Formats: sequence, C-alpha cells, structure tokens
Amino acid sequence: MTQQTWDEVGGLLPHDEFRAASEAIVANIEQVIEGKTATVRLALAVLLAEGHLLIEDVPGVGKTKLAKALARSIDCSVRRIQFTPDLLPSDVTGVSVYNQETHDFEFRPGAVFANLVVGDEINRASPKTQSALLECMEERQVTVDGVTYQLQTPFMVIATQNPIEMEGTYPLPEAQRDRFTARIAMGYPDAGAELAMLDGHGAADPLNELRPVSDAATVRRLIGHVRQVHVADAVKQYAVDLVTATREATDLRLGASPRATLQLLRTARAVAALEGRDYVLPDDLQVLAVPVLAHRIIPTADAQLARRTTDAIVAELVHRLPLPHDRKRSPYDTRPAPGNGRGPYEPRRP
Amino acid sequence: MTAHRNLGFVAAASTLLAAAPLSAIFQRWTWLVQAAIVVAVVAGAAALSRLGRAPLWGQILAMLAGLTLGLTWIFPGGTELLAFVPTPATFAHFAELLGDSVQDMRSYGVQVPDVDSLLFLAVLGVGTVAVVVDVLTVGLRRPALAGLPMLAIYSVPVAVYVDSVPATPFIVGACGYLWLLVTDNVDRVRRFGRRFTGEGRDVDVWEASPLAAAGRRLAVVGVALAVALPLAVPGMTGGLMNAVADGTGDGTGRPGQGGSPGRIDLFAALSGQLNQSEVTELVKVSTNESAPFYLRFGVADDLNPAGFRVRVPTGRSVTRNLPDPTERGGRGVDQQRYRATVEVTKNLTMPLLPVYAEPVKTEDLNGNWLYDPNLQIVFSNRENSRGKRYAFDYVRSTYSLGVLRAAPSLPADDPVLRQQTRTPSVPAVDTLVAQLVKGRQNDYDKVRAIYDYFSVENGFTYSLSTRGGTSGDDITDFLATKVGFCQQYAAAMAWLVRAAGIPARVAFGFTNGSNSNGRTYVLTNRNLHAWTEVYFGGIGWVPFDATPAAAIQGSVRSSWAPDTNALEETPSAPGVNPSAGPIDSSTGPNAKDPHEKDADQGLSVGANDPTRQSPVWPWWLGGAVLALLVLLAVPAARRSALRRRRRARALTPAATVLSAVPGPRGGARDVTVGVDAERARADAHAAWDELLDTLIDYQVRVDRTETPRATAERLVRESLAEDTGAMTGVRLLGRAEERARYARDPLTGEALHPALRSVRTTLAARADRRTRIMAALLPPSVLLRWRTAVADRSSRLVTTTGRVRDRLLRWNPRRLLAGRPAR
Repeated sequence: MTQQTWDEVGGLLPHDEFRAASEAIVANIEQVIEGKTATVRLALAVLLAEGHLLIEDVPGVGKTKLAKALARSIDCSVRRIQFTPDLLPSDVTGVSVYNQETHDFEFRPGAVFANLVVGDEINRASPKTQSALLECMEERQVTVDGVTYQLQTPFMVIATQNPIEMEGTYPLPEAQRDRFTARIAMGYPDAGAELAMLDGHGAADPLNELRPVSDAATVRRLIGHVRQVHVADAVKQYAVDLVTATREATDLRLGASPRATLQLLRTARAVAALEGRDYVLPDDLQVLAVPVLAHRIIPTADAQLARRTTDAIVAELVHRLPLPHDRKRSPYDTRPAPGNGRGPYEPRRP
Repeated sequence: MTAHRNLGFVAAASTLLAAAPLSAIFQRWTWLVQAAIVVAVVAGAAALSRLGRAPLWGQILAMLAGLTLGLTWIFPGGTELLAFVPTPATFAHFAELLGDSVQDMRSYGVQVPDVDSLLFLAVLGVGTVAVVVDVLTVGLRRPALAGLPMLAIYSVPVAVYVDSVPATPFIVGACGYLWLLVTDNVDRVRRFGRRFTGEGRDVDVWEASPLAAAGRRLAVVGVALAVALPLAVPGMTGGLMNAVADGTGDGTGRPGQGGSPGRIDLFAALSGQLNQSEVTELVKVSTNESAPFYLRFGVADDLNPAGFRVRVPTGRSVTRNLPDPTERGGRGVDQQRYRATVEVTKNLTMPLLPVYAEPVKTEDLNGNWLYDPNLQIVFSNRENSRGKRYAFDYVRSTYSLGVLRAAPSLPADDPVLRQQTRTPSVPAVDTLVAQLVKGRQNDYDKVRAIYDYFSVENGFTYSLSTRGGTSGDDITDFLATKVGFCQQYAAAMAWLVRAAGIPARVAFGFTNGSNSNGRTYVLTNRNLHAWTEVYFGGIGWVPFDATPAAAIQGSVRSSWAPDTNALEETPSAPGVNPSAGPIDSSTGPNAKDPHEKDADQGLSVGANDPTRQSPVWPWWLGGAVLALLVLLAVPAARRSALRRRRRARALTPAATVLSAVPGPRGGARDVTVGVDAERARADAHAAWDELLDTLIDYQVRVDRTETPRATAERLVRESLAEDTGAMTGVRLLGRAEERARYARDPLTGEALHPALRSVRTTLAARADRRTRIMAALLPPSVLLRWRTAVADRSSRLVTTTGRVRDRLLRWNPRRLLAGRPAR
C-alpha cells in the first residue's frame, strides 16, 4: 500500500470542505452515542491530531461503543484487540511463522497493523502485553525479529479501560499512559439522552447499521489541514507555561513531559480546525489541559491523601496561570488573590 | 564589654528622652540639638574610657572632660584653642552665662526664647544628668537609681509652670527610663547564657529578613524626606532646622533686636538693626482719654556702654492700693483720671502688662501681678501677659513749662539721683553735654537743650539700622553718624541727660499706632517704641520722645517736649493741646521728609505698612485650592486623553483587503498584508485596552488568566445581561482582540468604537452612583496604572540597590573576620 507524503496531502483545505468532512463523522457517531457531542468531537480531534485516545470510565457507559462507532465511520482498516490477562505481546504486534512451502519464516502481522486499533479493557492485560504497544504508538512502526515494519496512516489506538480501583486490572505504566494523547471520560448520559438511547437501542444495535462516511484518504487530508493551523507565539508560550506549571506545582510529584506539550498543541490545532478556525486560541489549550495533561501527572502523597484528583489539580493550574501577553501592556489583574480577601477593584457588593 | 557599650548607649538615649519635659519651657528646639551633642560627647567619652578599661573614676573624669569640651564648643567664649579646648577665660564666660541665666530666669516667662544663658543652663543640666545616669547604670549597675536625676529634669517645668504641665513629655521620659531598666535586665540575663525566643531562634542573632530590610529602608527614606522637605519648601522653615541654624550660629549672647513676636527684648541698644518683617497684633486698648500718651510696659535704667538694660523690678500686688500720684500734684500740674481696658493677644508673652502711666486701680488681675511704683510697671514673676484682659484707672499728668522750670534739682545725696545718673565715662559725651547745657539754669532747660539737639537741623535722621563707627563706643558712633531708630534716640538722650546730672531712663511701650477706631487702638509689633523719661524733683518722671516724629506712626508730642523738627512750633501752652497740635502723625508737616519711606513702626519694622497692604492669604488660599483641583483633575484628564487617542484609532477602520492572494487549493483567499494588518492589530489592541480600562473604572473584575473570548463571555453573562447591543459589542471586541493576538490576520472592517461605546454605556448604567462619579473624576484604571508603575519602579530600585550593596559588601572587613565565632 503506497501512501502519499504530507507534501502531497497538501495544506489547508477550503473551509467548507473540512467542515463538511468533519461534521459528517461527528454526526455519524452521534447516531450511536447520544448527547456526548463534546466527547465525540474530542475523540475526532485526537484522531486528527495523530494521537491515541484513552477512554476511561466505569463499565457500561459506552466506551467500547464510542471506539467502534469512530472506527466504523471511517472506511479504513479496523482491528480490535480484547485485552485479557493471558494476551501475549506477539498477539498484538505479530509473529514470524515458518512457512514449509517456502522454507522461510514469514511475518504474520498482529492486530496493530490497521488504521484504527480498538484496544478494549487495556488494563486487564499484563504490563508485559501492554508494553507491546509502546513502540507502535509513538513511532508508528513495529519491530519483530529485527525487522521494522511501518504502520499505515492514519494510525490511532483507541483504548478503553476501567478506573484502576476496579478488581483484576493492571494499571497502565507511566510510559504507556504518556503515549496516549488524551484521556477522556464518558460520563453518564443525561436523562433525555438516556431516554432516547432506550428508544434507539431497543430494537436493534444502531452500530450495526452505521455506514462509513469517510475514508482513510479523507482523514489524511483532514490531518494535513490540521497541521497547517496557525499557532501564534503567545499561544506556544502559553502551552509551555502550562506544562511548566505542572512541573512546578507543589501538589505534583511528576509533571507533564515535553511530549505532552507537543500533543497538547497538536490537539489544540485539531480542535481549532474543528471549530472552523485557522488559528489556535489559548481557550483551546484551556479546554484541552485536563484531557491531555491530567493522566500523565502523578500527585504527591499529600495531595492523594487530600483526595485531590489530577483533573482538579490541572484545572486549578489553568485557572491560576496568567495569559502571556504578547505585547507591552500593563498587566491588569483585579481578581482576588487566593486567600487574600478582596482584590483592589473587585466590585463592591452592597 | 559589648553589653556595657550597649548599656551606655541606652543610658545616653534615655537621658535625652528624659529631657523631653524641657520642651515645655523652650519655645524652640535648639536646646535639644545642643543637649544631644553634649550627651553624645559624654557617651562617647564613656565608651572610649571603657574601651581602655579605665576604672570608674577614670570613666567619670573622661565624661566630665567630654562634657566640658562639648559645652566649650557649643558656647564659646572666644578664647578657646581649636574652638573646643577651654581656657580660663572660657570658664569665666561660663560663670558669666550662669549669672545671666539667674537674671534671665526672672525676666522671662515661659516659654523662653533661645537665650544663650538659659540654653547653657539647660545643656549643662542635661549633660550632668547624662554623666550621673551613666555612672549609676554602667558603672555601679544600679539603673533604678538613675530615675532620680531624670526626675530632677522633670521637676524643672513643674517648678516653672504655675498651672498644669503637659503630660506627654513626661511619658516620653518615663519610656526612656523603662527602656533603660529593660536593657539592664536583658544584659543581666545574657550573662547566664543566650536568650531564645519561643521559635528557638537566638534573640540576639541578627537575621536579615527582607521585610525588616525594606522597613529600614523605608524609615531611612522617610526620615530623610521629613528633614529635607521643610528645607526645600519656602515658608516652612519655622521649625527645628531654623532653630538649629540661627540658634547655634549666633552664640554671641546678646539678644537680638528682632526676636520673636511674642517677646520684646527690653534692651535699649545703642546700635543694631530692625529686622522683623511680620506684622503681629499684640494689644488692643481702649480708653476714654482723647489723645493718650504711649502705652508703656517696661523700663530700662541700668546703663552699660552698649545701652540700657532692664533691672529686676520689685513691688507689691496690684490688688492692694496703688500709690496715688495726685498727692504729688501741685499748681501747673494738670491731673486727670481716665479709665482704659486692655486686651492682650496670644502673641505677646511677657511677664509684664502694658498700662498707661500711672495706674491707680486695676481690675481682673490677680495677686500674682505686682506693681513697681518706682518703675511704674506691672509685672509678674509667675504669670505672663498672653491672652490677658484687664481694665485699670490711671492718672494722666501734664505739666506746664513753668512748673518744670521751677522744679528744683535733686540734692546730691538723693538715692534716685545717685542711682539714675550713673554713666560710663565717655569723653566725647561729656564734652557734648557740657557744650549743650552751658548757660542753662534749670533742669528743664538743660533737658530741653539736649532734647532739641536730636533734630533734623543737627543732622539726625531715622533709619532702620545704625551705621558702624570707628570710635569703639556705640554712643560716640551714634552721636557721630546721627542715624538710628527709637532705641538709639531714647538711650542716647537718657545717657546725655544723665551725663548732665539729671536722672533719666528708657521706657518701652507702644505708640498709638495707625489703626485706631474711635478710642480703641489696635497695636502691633510695629508700634513698639522706646522713649526717654527724665526725673524732675518734686514732680517725678516726665516723658520725652526724642525720636524724629515724622518717622513714627501714632507719635504723640507734649507741650514740654514739642516736635523739634516741626516747621512751626506750636505756641507753648500749659497742658496738652487737645486739638491735633500735639499729635504729629506721619502725615503731619514733615510728610516730605526724605526718610518718610522708612516710616517707623516702633521697635520693629517691616517693608510695608500693614494697613495699606491688601491681605495676601486669599490669593494663597485660592491658589492652593486651584492647585488642588488641577491635581485632582490630572487622572481624569489622563484618562480622557487615553480614550481620545484610542478612539481616534478605532474611528478609522483599516482597509479590508489590500491584495488577493490565491489560496493553496486554487480558491482566492483574502489576506491583508503590510502596514494595514499591523494597523488593524493595533486598533484591536487599543479597543481592548480601552475596554479593560472601562471595566476597571466601573469596578468590574478583570482577570489575567482569562482569554479575550472568556472575558467577553463572562461580561455577557454577568455584567451586560439583557442588552443585546452591548453583548454583540463585547463579543466583537473579544473576537477582534483574539484575532489580533493569535490569528494570522486580524479582524478588519469592523467598527469597534460603537461597540465600545455601547459596552461603556451599559456598564455605566449598571454601576452605582459612587462608582460612576469615581470613574469620571478619579478613574481607577489610571490610578492602578500609576500605582503599578510606581511599584515596578520601586522594586527595581530595591533590586538595584540590593545588588550594589552586595557588591559593596564584598569589601566589607567583617568578611575577613567571618571565621571567628560571634561573642
């Protein structure tokens, strides 16, 4: 299978074309997942940012359904791996077998040789098996018996997992978690969406009737578009500030990695493109900070004792971090300082 | 040793604090400066002697030597070596100062001006107390006993004041004493080991905290400002520095002629200069006499070569019967009884009360006031004239020429004659007097001859200052230069009359001034005057005013002593001419006198006549109010200027499209490039800044962590609800700003100013009145900006100075000793 280079894919698409393609995918998925537009768009953004998605939530809220719906909406090769405790690394990457006819070893690709890989219940496999994904996720290649095989583009791992408090699971190693661009939680549907779900899913699984609305080539073009989204220096500075803040926060034992900075900005590009902009705003980074950063950091023992989740810590950092000003202007901040009562110009309440 | 040195310092400081009650006695603070110098010298001498491990008696000797040196330096007698090593003459000078101080204590009421003798006494006292306190505290380790000498200082104002003494200085002194006790206690505890606070830190280890450092810096700057500012601002120099400047500078010991308005120096000098420029209302007097002679309050009859000096008066209480002058009256002496009411303002503080000669009955005066029948003055040893109101009856005597001529000369053994004719021997004077009285038969003719001698024909003129002469005698100089003011005329005539063997003295008081309302006279320091009184046997003291009348406002002349410079002498008639005859005002016949421009205002004088000068203070007040208004308007003006500038930007939107660039996929994409993109960006920034300023003005929260979009949304949510115009406006502004900041090309072609205006209007409508007024008059945005700028600047300054200090500390010798354990 020959692939186009990124130069051949080209730069920015006309506004309408990008919008039509992306909206079609979102609408398609929403036939299956009701009332979760933001989650769906974020999942798509991760795809367009050439990242991998970790969906983490309690059982039964539609994690696997979202993964499968995304996979089916795009006409490309899709593999699914059910992670079980007895799964072996070779099941994931592939294995060389002896072909008696040719008297030679022949490589039989594993499950990762696809555009979309859905890893279900990833934390049920042993860390040994989980580690098989390390190379392919970051380097988009698989090395078996000294031979390196390139993976296709787009390539995306969508993994689901139960929160680690659940029994019979192995928490993902830190390196593995860092390879996932974003971790999203499904959350329970609201009452209306749940009612609609009962109506829609009562008779038949709508997943079966889902038809692809896009293909790998289109997705590649979309990715090419996202790569061209403008990022101002101030926004880059803000991304660096944000990540630096996680490294310096007193509540955190481990901050976010430079890879996190890179993926944060990539995802922000995708989000901006999905919103029809050709430039990234700090708002995009603020929205993405929790999904992109929260699963990579490790809180201190004190913060854990205080039951502070990493989500809350990151959200607070975002709330506290001032925007970098890209030009000379007096820095106004009339927000009350934390724990310091009224700010100088906080409006008086009668 | 360190502890002892520290204790010595505290002893010196607490002595100074204990001296605070003296401030109630002195008008100015010169004493404190001088006392501080002396105490510092004493403390330094003590520290040096202890450094040399001198025994206690050695320390005492060192401190006494320091005290002597300090006193010599501050109060030089003129014969010192190197300005501070005393000679025997210096101690003679000190003894003289002490003698003067005894007299000055009697002649001055509280509060006293800076007189050298009194300053000397005060400084000597404080210095001695410093020595005693140091010996008791450091030498004998009995700091509690040091309270006694400190209390001695406090007893001074208690003794001097009749009524209550202010309590604040006592509290200051008590604090000093407590400090001393605490320091001694700490020192005792320290001998057992180290002191700890509860936090486990050593109390005595000095730890540099940034806060403390900042505080110290602030304090130093504040003190420097407080000292420098009054020096720089004209008109604010009435305080300590002024006192220091002329208090220590003029140590010659002779009271100046000017003095402060509250005190009049009763010294008829034969040379000097009038330098008082202020006009102060001193006395208001009303009488039923039609043309009263001068109001008088003091007499100087002790003659020395420099002039006439006041002697200590003696007398008995005014509440008792006063001597009745009518007993002396005879034919040719016209005596009338009048009544006068006097109101002394708060500006005159003297132990004397002005009265008309001669009072026979007083009202509203208590027994503290005494009457000296000899000097005919009312005085007190305990009270002063400040703010007194009283009334009195007096008898005015006028004399016919015949009676005066008939007055017999006093017998040679008469006490008045012996006392009041003593003169220093000056040959020139004797020659002149002999020449003048030659051929005159009776006392009056002799006196008239001398009186007439001081006339314009003889070349005498009026001037605010005397001219220096070469003879060495002030009296000879005056008689030669013939230039002077009332003091010189009065003193010179009295001298000459005395030289003729007739008793004479100098009286002080007020002329009738120029500010009279019917029979009420308002007298100021410019109406202060001095004249001569001559004693005639069987008649008593008769006034003569030898000063050129033309130069004096409210001058009064009598028939026996007419104006010698008048073109026509009024016919000599017995008694005072009731018409305008005897009253020669300055607009009298001598109005063309060339010296009229130097019109006398009595003992003191200024450049302008107070009554003709329109008051200046309304101008100052108006100017100050105007300046204040201008100052208050500065922030608002700054704000509106900012708004106008930004609006000028927003009013002219940048061009939409400069060039059409084909897009990458064939379609045309509009891109604005070059200057106009920059311009649009700047416009958006200006509009956004204006929005933020407006928010601050109307006290809406501004958050640096918010993006423009988030700010706009929050405003829509919280502050601009239900106003669609403003909502779309603020969203437009947010979008423009975010495009300007983050996009490739800024938003163009949108009218930002109307959006801004609608937001501003809505915010103003939703703000309360106080906020609106503040936004208009004192825009918080401008104040905040300035405050931020000041804070930035000052923190940068602190950083810089800190760096400089670090660099300097590299050369600190203490670093070389760093290895040594501290204490």
